Amino acid sequence: MASRKSAIRNPQSTIHNPQSRRPLFIFAAAALSLMALLCCLAWGVMQVTERQKQATATPEAAAAADPRQATLRVAISPEKAVLFAELAEAFNAQKLRTPDRRTMQVQAEAQDVETMLQAALAGKVEAISPDSSLWLDDLDRAWAEQTGSAAPLVGESCRYAVSPIVLAMWEPVARQLGWPERPIGWGDVQAQAQRDPNFKWSHPSTSSASGLLATLAEFYAGAGKTRGLTIEDAQAQPTLDYVAAVERTVRYYGEGELAVIERAQKEGPGFLDAFVVQEQLIVRFNRQAQGLPRLVAVYPAEGTLWADHPLALLETPTLTANQRRTFQHFREFLSSPEAQAKVLAHGYRPADLTIPLDGPASPLTAANGVDPRQPQTTLQMPGPAVVEVVRNVWWYTKRHTNVYLVVDTSGSMTGEKLEAAREALRAFLAQIQGDLERVGLVEFSSQVNNIIPLDELGRNRAELEQAVEALEAGGNTALLDAVRAAYVRLQQANDSERINAIVAMTDGRENASLISLQQLAREIEQGNRTGVPVVIFCIAYGRDADYNVLEAIANASGGQVRQGDLESIRELYKILSTYF
Amino acid sequence: MKRTRIVFIVIVVVALLIVGAGLLWRALNPAQQPLTVTPKGPIQVRVITALPVEPWVREAAKQFNAEQHKLEGEVVQVEIIAMDGLTALGKFDRDDFGALGERSIAGLSDAERQKLAQFPTAWIPDSRYLVELANASYKERLGRDVFLTDGEYRARPIAISLFAWGIYGSRAQVLQARYGELDWQAIHDAAIARGGWPELGGDPAWGFFKLVVPSPRKNVGGLAAMIAAAGEYYDRPNISTADVTDPDFQRWLGELMGAVTDISGASAYTAEDFALFGYSVGDGGQLLESDLLTHMAGIQTRWADPLIIFYPRYVTWFDFPFSVWMGAETTALEKNAALEFQRYLLSPEVQRQAVARGLRPVNPDVSVTEGDSPFVKWEAQGVKTVVPRTTAMRSPDRDVLQALLRWFDLNVANR
Repeated sequence: MASRKSAIRNPQSTIHNPQSRRPLFIFAAAALSLMALLCCLAWGVMQVTERQKQATATPEAAAAADPRQATLRVAISPEKAVLFAELAEAFNAQKLRTPDRRTMQVQAEAQDVETMLQAALAGKVEAISPDSSLWLDDLDRAWAEQTGSAAPLVGESCRYAVSPIVLAMWEPVARQLGWPERPIGWGDVQAQAQRDPNFKWSHPSTSSASGLLATLAEFYAGAGKTRGLTIEDAQAQPTLDYVAAVERTVRYYGEGELAVIERAQKEGPGFLDAFVVQEQLIVRFNRQAQGLPRLVAVYPAEGTLWADHPLALLETPTLTANQRRTFQHFREFLSSPEAQAKVLAHGYRPADLTIPLDGPASPLTAANGVDPRQPQTTLQMPGPAVVEVVRNVWWYTKRHTNVYLVVDTSGSMTGEKLEAAREALRAFLAQIQGDLERVGLVEFSSQVNNIIPLDELGRNRAELEQAVEALEAGGNTALLDAVRAAYVRLQQANDSERINAIVAMTDGRENASLISLQQLAREIEQGNRTGVPVVIFCIAYGRDADYNVLEAIANASGGQVRQGDLESIRELYKILSTYF
Repeated sequence: MKRTRIVFIVIVVVALLIVGAGLLWRALNPAQQPLTVTPKGPIQVRVITALPVEPWVREAAKQFNAEQHKLEGEVVQVEIIAMDGLTALGKFDRDDFGALGERSIAGLSDAERQKLAQFPTAWIPDSRYLVELANASYKERLGRDVFLTDGEYRARPIAISLFAWGIYGSRAQVLQARYGELDWQAIHDAAIARGGWPELGGDPAWGFFKLVVPSPRKNVGGLAAMIAAAGEYYDRPNISTADVTDPDFQRWLGELMGAVTDISGASAYTAEDFALFGYSVGDGGQLLESDLLTHMAGIQTRWADPLIIFYPRYVTWFDFPFSVWMGAETTALEKNAALEFQRYLLSPEVQRQAVARGLRPVNPDVSVTEGDSPFVKWEAQGVKTVVPRTTAMRSPDRDVLQALLRWFDLNVANR
């Protein structure tokens, strides 16, 4: 005790005393503990910083900057967005790790084919899942052109779900055509449309597998063949005349199968009599629709095509080994019983052949309007050169359009709103391929300020572009007068060969027109009955737009209203351009 | 200041300096690996594997990896990379894998070194003639073979699969009633029938006769089918360039290929397509026996129309040679590890697994009738455990293959 006291009092005296080393040992242990604590803290700080970086960086920047990136960005076709989201969620929930402890993630984004291919070429996605393998060949050709490389962009691929493309018809319409006793083909629908002016049918543009199939079927029928279509056949005048005659019966085109099905759900049999979609969408419709007649799948007698939904890895220069691993694990997951059961539940035919389509879990039943033993035959898909000619020629044979763009330039459009609208209008004009479509413009604020009459884009494209550049905001909102001005001009043109349409956009409330809403609606309804049918698409731009007025105008013409804002207005105009 | 305090402060300062330096280093080098020493890892064996054997080889690799095989004290890990034989050949030809050639490893850039780290240790192509084509290409550049044909590292077949006719039962019945024996000539005549199936005596709903031939640009099976057709056309097993460029033969082949439903989007997985899309895309075709056997049950489940198998007079086959890359791109240890995996594939147990997947074993100790053999299971559908007397087609040379591919590109793919 005495010695301890002395050690406390006089540390120097403890140098040679073993007991006196204890404080040094305690200090050293404390220092080491502190050092360990600091190391842990530093490690923690680094981890948090790393996570924050991952969370805040854009996926593109993250992929470019991080050679260990394990997140796989997949562009998918829109009609399978719900299924794919479920599959990706189930995969992500497994929290699989790469060998360097990164979490494997799949991020899906629905895109139309054109956007998807552009994203793939720009390296914005590492994998794609379009509706058909057809687009993979297109992508490789575009990649070869862009890079001059013989090595393909499309790497390993797999299939997890397939669905035949069919003609969707309301059951009473199908029965009138002889279904189910008699096989119905493309020719029957085309003949019916030419025979009966009230028969309304539609197919998407050739930018989707179903649109391409419908178009090919027309070219085959026009050439009098069911296989061996050549470039000469596709360009022969009798074929072009036939296709043009059939296309004249198309009510209007549209943005894709999903949008058509959704409209069929909303509007019922008055919408269209027949349209081209994937079989799975008919299953979906019949399971969801209430109080509507059934849709049935007609498997065209001449043959159909399959939407085979490939999932393909893209061998981009920035693809990381971890992303490749994620792809491979996701591919494996897609073939698992769990994933394949989801595929079937959504009305697709699973790639796993051991799953019966007529089992108790299958929604592919006659009650849902489909027959899993069909189709019996497919239409021969010509080589890429013929397909390209068909797609190009279609723009000339398709039903052409007279469309007025009605544009609000009232005071509330000042600033970035008007600039975004200009950009959207430019996108609309750029999107309309070929110069045969007729486009006009009606600009309004307190009154109709400027009208560029309808003319073929080949002649007035520059004038329209200049007018768009010159738009200036100011004044009140005479929406109804502007719509009427466009409508009257379309009725005066009396061109029933073409699709007649108005795309009217406003961001505010009607407050300056001479005509009332009731008067205008009456005039449109009557005009559409006695004159040429004009369909009006309205865009409610921003939160202040009077949706009810726009809806009344659209409904009077059998059109539709879309809500847009600064971010979406460009895309919205782009979508609407697909209707023409 | 007391000495213990000085020691304490020094330790704390040193610790802070270490941590600070670490943080600074990391901040300045965000893309660098973490501050850890990479442990000496397992011996990596990367095997490019032809699609028809890929599921079997991948499964075997999983087992092999799980068993932790060791070589010189290091664990061997096998990675399987699925790739059609022609695609892989194209990559070897274009040097996409980054072979060293005349360069040394020391002279490589970082990016080149990274690429080299992924260089395949071995290749299992569909057929021996693809190995010869790759060797021919490298012989021109390096003056030597890159895959050996004799010695310990020689390319050894790991399984065999023949090409056989697979035709949907309902369609086969109609064709047999009309033509008797089913051969390429009968298929050709069915293909050119202007009236389609009604003219042949079949159901009008079947449309035209649809032939299944893979795109030879995506699946080397397409080339094998064209070679077999040429053999029957000339009634001999050896085919020359003059034969395949003969206008009469090309016209005949063109008519035959006119019955292919989809050349444009044809995938590499033709047998899978045949099963997945059923008779709607193809009434029949000459495909690998193993692929047909793999999908027999699925076809019956999905399409309720069984597949019937017939063996052609002139038979072609794939032998899937396991070929170890001979070059400085991979180490001696990796090459030996690849051989270890090759021996594993040839073991009786793994060969039995091959049989279960419809492949014919190369290990003489294993029979096609063993266990749950699809050869026995599907005998009633025409599968033969012992193939009747046929004539084996000889492997065509590079010029013949190139001529066929050129003809295909000009007349079918871009028709």
